[in-house]
Amino acid sequence: MEVADRAIGLLLSVISLSIFTYYTFWVIILPFVDSEHFVHKYFLPQEYAILIPVYAGVVLICFLSVFIGYVMLKSKKKKA
Amino acid sequence: MKHIIKIMALLVALSAFWISLLQTSVLPESYTWLLPLYFIVSLGSYGLLMVGVGLMRFPTCPQEAILLQEDIVEAKGFLNGKGVDVGSD
Repeated sequence: MEVADRAIGLLLSVISLSIFTYYTFWVIILPFVDSEHFVHKYFLPQEYAILIPVYAGVVLICFLSVFIGYVMLKSKKKKA
Repeated sequence: MKHIIKIMALLVALSAFWISLLQTSVLPESYTWLLPLYFIVSLGSYGLLMVGVGLMRFPTCPQEAILLQEDIVEAKGFLNGKGVDVGSD
């Protein structure tokens, strides 16, 4: 059981570190690089650097409100 | 109530700092526009990193688990002897 926990923890840390480095590279370093450098191939256009976090934030807020509403409805139905 | 006021004051101070950065043009304008979003994303990834690290270093105490199972068996035997119904598995 603890091996599964350690594997999941390692996966989460790797995901978070990769997201951080990719986003840092995207927003901070890439504007300084010449537009013909090959590394621009690996990164989406800069508009997506704004769209993707905003979209993910909106999806998260929607999911939270749906979850809260569902829990509230279930508790009210159980009381009645 | 005081806690909310402290948090709001912190938020107001941060936004004032950001707007002053925009006005005085210390950094290029495109950077200053993306700076709050970048901080939010990095904060989220930092939280995820802390969760992952905590999961990896979680202590499990296998000897205590064995002792606990022995205690459970002993307690079940005792209660069954006294006539209390403890059967669930």
